[in-house]
Amino acid sequence: MKIVLTVLLMLAFSGCASVAKVETGERAVGERLAVTLDSAWNHIRAPGIGPAEIWTMEGLPVDQLLIYSGIRDGQAIHVERAAGSGSQKSFSFRSGMQPDEIAAMFEGMLTRDGSRFKLEKLEPVTFGGGKGLRFEYSLTRKIDNVQLSGIGYGRVSKGELFAIVYMAPRLTFFSRHAPSAEQISRSARIKE
Amino acid sequence: MACGPAFAQTGWQAPARFVRPELSTDEGGLWSLMEREETRLRRSPFSIRDPRLRDYVQDIACRLAGEHCPDVRVYLVQTPLFNANMAPNGMMQVWTGLMLRVDNEAQLAAVMGHEIGHYLARHSLERLRDVKSRAAFGQFLGLLGVAGAVGQLAVLASAFAYSRDQEREADQFGMILMRQAGYDPVEAGKVWANLLLEIKARPDGDAGRNSPMFASHPSPESRQETLQQLADASPGGVTNEDAWRERTRPFMREWLTDEIKRGQHEESIALFNRMIARVPSQADFVYARGEVYRLRARGDDLNAALADYQTAVSCGGEPPETHRGLGAIHRQRNQLPEARASFQRYLELAPAAPDAPMIKSYMEEAGT
Amino acid sequence: MLLLFFAFAGGAGAQPNLAEGFTTLPKNAKVAIIPTDIELFSISGGGVLEPKADWTEAATKHFRAALVAKKKSLGATTVELSEKDADDVADVNALHAAIARSIAQHHFGPGFMNLPTKAGKLDWSLGEPVRVIKEKTGANYALFSWIRDSYASGERVATMIVLALFGVGVPGGSQVGYASLVDLDTGRILWFNRLMRASGDLREADKAVETLNALLNNFPRTQ
Repeated sequence: MKIVLTVLLMLAFSGCASVAKVETGERAVGERLAVTLDSAWNHIRAPGIGPAEIWTMEGLPVDQLLIYSGIRDGQAIHVERAAGSGSQKSFSFRSGMQPDEIAAMFEGMLTRDGSRFKLEKLEPVTFGGGKGLRFEYSLTRKIDNVQLSGIGYGRVSKGELFAIVYMAPRLTFFSRHAPSAEQISRSARIKE
Repeated sequence: MACGPAFAQTGWQAPARFVRPELSTDEGGLWSLMEREETRLRRSPFSIRDPRLRDYVQDIACRLAGEHCPDVRVYLVQTPLFNANMAPNGMMQVWTGLMLRVDNEAQLAAVMGHEIGHYLARHSLERLRDVKSRAAFGQFLGLLGVAGAVGQLAVLASAFAYSRDQEREADQFGMILMRQAGYDPVEAGKVWANLLLEIKARPDGDAGRNSPMFASHPSPESRQETLQQLADASPGGVTNEDAWRERTRPFMREWLTDEIKRGQHEESIALFNRMIARVPSQADFVYARGEVYRLRARGDDLNAALADYQTAVSCGGEPPETHRGLGAIHRQRNQLPEARASFQRYLELAPAAPDAPMIKSYMEEAGT
Repeated sequence: MLLLFFAFAGGAGAQPNLAEGFTTLPKNAKVAIIPTDIELFSISGGGVLEPKADWTEAATKHFRAALVAKKKSLGATTVELSEKDADDVADVNALHAAIARSIAQHHFGPGFMNLPTKAGKLDWSLGEPVRVIKEKTGANYALFSWIRDSYASGERVATMIVLALFGVGVPGGSQVGYASLVDLDTGRILWFNRLMRASGDLREADKAVETLNALLNNFPRTQ
């Protein structure tokens, strides 16, 4: 029984998942985005995760850095569930989206599970070498009631979305790691 | 079961207050489970802690419950759906979606009275005796703990639904409690009718799928007629609409925003249509409908949105976001001077808005 | 057999349960016992988890009694956090639960989920917000615990046997849990133990003691 149980848990991960270290220095994400890191992060890889690349410092249940590179018109910004498997709405990027609509799109994605979102700030900013948006938010996570703080950067270039979103618990963790997330975001360069 | 005038005139007596049952019994187990859920709810950031609002609703529940008042504990939960329920241990939940939708105290009392009716008649225990619903209930509660996804709630609530007989009983008890507390029983029928209207507006028309309330409270035959008969049997009573509007006013904008953000455009439009018909000069309601039209953006929606925003402005007291919405439409249509003027008005009314910096940049773009 | 190897490989380095530099509790240590989060389920034939309130109530009682009895052998002074105080520290509790899930997944999980930046160490800290627990209890450490336990019903056992004949493994019931010792000045997780097994029974008082002992298996000694 014990062995069966343990094996099943192993199978749950299928050995296809892994965590790789993202070293300091330059790092490409997708074909057109590059960032520079001042400190190392952890990159979670697993089949079915997407379309954002997911990084973390303290582990997925705690904090997440989502990096979107080259999201196309009509593409969903989260994993799409099989049709009919739930009434959760789908959120997709459209090339013509204005900055406030992009922020609203992320808000929609983050509140699909009943979590509560509050926009704290939305401002224009230079991101990846061009005019983009930056937003700050707070999120009360439905599943476990943890209160998170978050930031996001985004820009549409040649009809594709590039964005970096980071969130962590408001207590302790956000102030611990947000500076690094900000630094990564400000270092972003988008190939035109 | 007899209903109508005969029933209403019998000297119906509420049962004596309940004693906490033995833990090993079905009921005791359920009680204990609900106690743990109550602790979680009490500690949850989704539970509304504003004492004025909580005390107000608790007081209404208390007057309805009569002798059972000390056993009823009301929790207000920030969820933009119409729902209220009461657990066998006396814990009652009222969701903000319900508070947005009722027009007055009497309508809220009708729903809470109905739930207290289920509680007094111990319907949950009867349902639990059915093995199938025990498994479903377990799954239902398990999901509440793990995922809490509201969408799944409705699907499972139907598995743990009250029977039509129980619904009838709760309607009758609820009516009696309402009347005893001095409320006009005519309002009870209106609540369900209004809810039905909204659900019929759904494009897929499936009432049960997304409404936890409807899923767990099946409509007994001729519910409307029965409620009407019961109301006719003992006319009179208050609605306390003024008090309701005053006590809920500080929260209205937040609840309207939560409703808009559900993204269920047709239902929201149906709801706002009804609210506007009742109180035509309330700028907040007209703005809310305009906002939904703007977000849906189908066919002639943008013109409908424009019209609503402009109406809201002429009503006066419009939320600053009205001008932001106007600005967004003008911007989309490349009507730059109008866009600039609207955004400027938004910034004047809400200089500390979170998106002020972004709107300022839109305004500056429109100015060049 | 490769899978079996996988099952026992991975995990962290030499001292997976202890934070770097921590081995023993000081002599006058005072530990606040945070109410255990326990839930017991039964598993029906269809695999549906049904919470069993009377089992949970019994388990909570047995676990608390075992913890009280264990106090002496733990060596440190303990104080219980009341339910009322637990209300007030709900957000710290929720935060700890998230960190604990992360440690269970990324430090005690399959090796490939380890976080390279943690370098194989138990290196998580909640920070200063934990001081509110110190203020309420006067303790300088806090012990958190969490258990989820499921038991196969008769029909479930029958189903398992049938499916096993066809080579399909079906979990018959499992006990998962953790215990965590937190420094109430720094918020550092000093000691963490994870339980994950298919045995143990919290429904009986004597067997609950066994679970508690397994959970507190290598709890740090007091000087």
